[in-house]
Amino acid sequence: MPARNVLNQIKERFEPSILRVDVPSDNRLFLYVTPGVVRDICNHVFRDLDARYVVSIGIDDRPYSGQFTVAHNFGFEREKVLSSILVNLPADDPVIDSISPAVPAANWAEREFRDLLGIEPVGCPSMKRLVLPDGWPEGVHPLRKDFSWDLKPAKFDENKVFAFDDPPEGCVVVPFGPFHPTLDEPAHFRLYVEGEIVRGCEYRGFMVHRGIEKLADTVLTYNEIPMMAERICGICGCVHSVAYAQAVEQAAAIEPPARARFIRTIMLELERLHSHLLWVGLANHILGFDTLFMQSFRMREPIMWLCERITGNRKTYGLCVIGGVRWDITPEIKDDINRILDQLEKEWIAAAKAVQGDRNLQKRTKGVGIADAALVKDLGLIGPIARASGVPQDCRRDFPYAAYDQVDFQVITQAGCDVWSRVLVRVLEVFESIRIIRQCLEKMPAGPIQLQLDDELPPGRIGLSSIEAPRGEAHHFVVTGEENRPRRWRVRAPTYQNLQGIPAMIKDQQLADMTISLGSIDPCFSCTDRLEILDIKSGDVRVYSQQEIVNMTRRV
Amino acid sequence: MTESALWAIVTGVANVILVLAAAPFCEGIIRKVTARVQSRQGPPIWQPYLDILKLLGKEDIESGESPGLQRLSAYLSLAAVLTLAWFVPMGAAAPLTKAGDAILVIYLLTLCGVSTLLAGLAAGSTYSLFGVSREMMAMLTLEPLLAVGVIVGAVETGSLRLDDVLNASVYSLAAWPLAGILMLVVLLFSLQAFVGRVPFDTAEAETEIMEGPLIEYSGPKLGLFKYAQMSKLFVYCALLVGLFAPWGSQWPYPLALLVLLAKIGVLVLLITLVGATHARYRIDQAIRYYAALFVLSLVALTLALVGF
Repeated sequence: MPARNVLNQIKERFEPSILRVDVPSDNRLFLYVTPGVVRDICNHVFRDLDARYVVSIGIDDRPYSGQFTVAHNFGFEREKVLSSILVNLPADDPVIDSISPAVPAANWAEREFRDLLGIEPVGCPSMKRLVLPDGWPEGVHPLRKDFSWDLKPAKFDENKVFAFDDPPEGCVVVPFGPFHPTLDEPAHFRLYVEGEIVRGCEYRGFMVHRGIEKLADTVLTYNEIPMMAERICGICGCVHSVAYAQAVEQAAAIEPPARARFIRTIMLELERLHSHLLWVGLANHILGFDTLFMQSFRMREPIMWLCERITGNRKTYGLCVIGGVRWDITPEIKDDINRILDQLEKEWIAAAKAVQGDRNLQKRTKGVGIADAALVKDLGLIGPIARASGVPQDCRRDFPYAAYDQVDFQVITQAGCDVWSRVLVRVLEVFESIRIIRQCLEKMPAGPIQLQLDDELPPGRIGLSSIEAPRGEAHHFVVTGEENRPRRWRVRAPTYQNLQGIPAMIKDQQLADMTISLGSIDPCFSCTDRLEILDIKSGDVRVYSQQEIVNMTRRV
Repeated sequence: MTESALWAIVTGVANVILVLAAAPFCEGIIRKVTARVQSRQGPPIWQPYLDILKLLGKEDIESGESPGLQRLSAYLSLAAVLTLAWFVPMGAAAPLTKAGDAILVIYLLTLCGVSTLLAGLAAGSTYSLFGVSREMMAMLTLEPLLAVGVIVGAVETGSLRLDDVLNASVYSLAAWPLAGILMLVVLLFSLQAFVGRVPFDTAEAETEIMEGPLIEYSGPKLGLFKYAQMSKLFVYCALLVGLFAPWGSQWPYPLALLVLLAKIGVLVLLITLVGATHARYRIDQAIRYYAALFVLSLVALTLALVGF
């Protein structure tokens, strides 16, 4: 019982402060503790038990228990346990000790629940506004249950500007973003530059935060949310919809059919394939090496066609529902997948060889954007960043989900801590993904792909789900609720943690290395911002058939 | 005298027309070949002509700190290159060899770079200033290379007169023209940097500092800068050919021109392939590379001085 073992270790020191314990399975642990010990217990878990910080969540539970709740989530990788340390706070005075002094990685998450729920993290080193726009009035907290989802606060001040810190002595301020050719989405880095050397920076993002978490607990229903969740990100959408579905399934103790779990695995790996190919291309574009950029996009294209063949879309697959998936993989599609994977493998071997032997690329990426194991630990950095710093961290192996416990794969690590190592990790992971998909196709059992759910899901249960997205761990936290929708759904995309590492990674580096350092985390600001995109087409002049459009865009 | 002046004007104008006509074509070749290397279809080869026409026809927006200076630098950039064309042999002897010497050519080369600096300074945005500082660093280490190349020729011939310096006089009469060959190697290795192409496009670096000095430019002014860059590439190639590989330039007019164009074509292909197979260097890495070349060029100069 790994979850029990973790619990006993914590009990050794904090037994009297633990109010309630919930161990729903071998690999989930929920601890309710008294507010006074939260910093100590998190410090103990983070430093002594060496758990990885995942995210902190604020919950407005007043309509149900009359209290606010804060959850600090940690992942115990050795024990394969995901845990939540929960604290209930009084409704009239929601104040909690900040854990950021002990766990630096918690800074953003604490500022976020301060912004959105008005829960005050006392002692947090930086209390600046993170999520809400500058003009948003003080004391109005949109994620509180008494705040209507469509309310526009009356005292919104359009003219208010964010107060940045003063730049250090002798530095010029270089505004990087919100719009910059290497930023696909808006985010603002205020760089403090001395000559060509970056001495520091301040980040202001969340410019396209649209609050889909609010929509989820007020407007959408359980099975509508996966469709919304995959619109969080244009690249790893499937990750979010699967992570959400798994969190709900775990909370309600639903086990989706085996075939559905294999199909989820296949789609997640296809997504990793096209995401990694995209990244290798973009990274090279940032470095001015456009030939490899174009070539990797060419190799990526058949994967997109394959996804379209399986789901009807290149992206946003509409794959996941609670208790299963919506698209099956037919024998013909299976042959297609095998054929395209063979082709990709052949081409990628050549590409990988070209990348690995390129001295010019190494010159630009070695020793650049350093994130060592200590930084990875402190800021909770994840995914290829962690693996490129020699930290063998991979949710697929650490917290197995879908069908990952039934396939064999390697966790690729490198020891360089720099951009070059991140390039190698991603280049080599492509081969592992191909291996995983092949094994899935081989082992996938016949059977239904969806579970018939006859009963209402039980309210008030907590579900945690971590998925290894192409950029790192995507973590979803769900509290089930009434009226066919969750009470609280919190998304922690990988970039949310990795972006916090950027100031340390670009400090004292050349300005020219800033873009590739930022690029090396494969930033996905929309994930961070949890954005909703609306595409409005105007004035339809002529309707093209699908085949016509395909003919116009493709040369097969 | 008047007749030779007239002749100089005719050939000079012919050179300018040649540069203006052929430079976008070279750009078209670069784009097409690059696209082929990248498994792309690529734009039609005449696309750069259309691009320039389009830019020239657009609204002339005044943005940036000092519009007057910005306009001036746009004119200056193209003017400097086209003036340089009067001193470079293109199918016939260089039109203005009698009016200027090797030093003037070096000045004109520098003026091309100065116009970029002016453009960036006049625009006054943070990113353009970064571009300016990078361009300045590159100029300081790069321009001496070409100067040394010309001076090696001058040393070999004992004269700064252009017509003497040109026509391959960089190769001394010694059995092993070491200085000339070394200079040829140095300049071939720095050609990419002179024309500001990947991996040495640090001053513009779209993905880092968003075209640097040109960030505030659009419409006709941008068109002029682009035209100047294309022309610069053509004139630099012609100058390199004039200095190091002028064989065939004595032939009758159309033949000599065709030979020149063929040689320039080879250089353009070289530039394209290097550009398509490299990532951009950081400015410090680029400067270190230039510095190494500069040391080599000084070695070449010393060799020339002692008679090799």
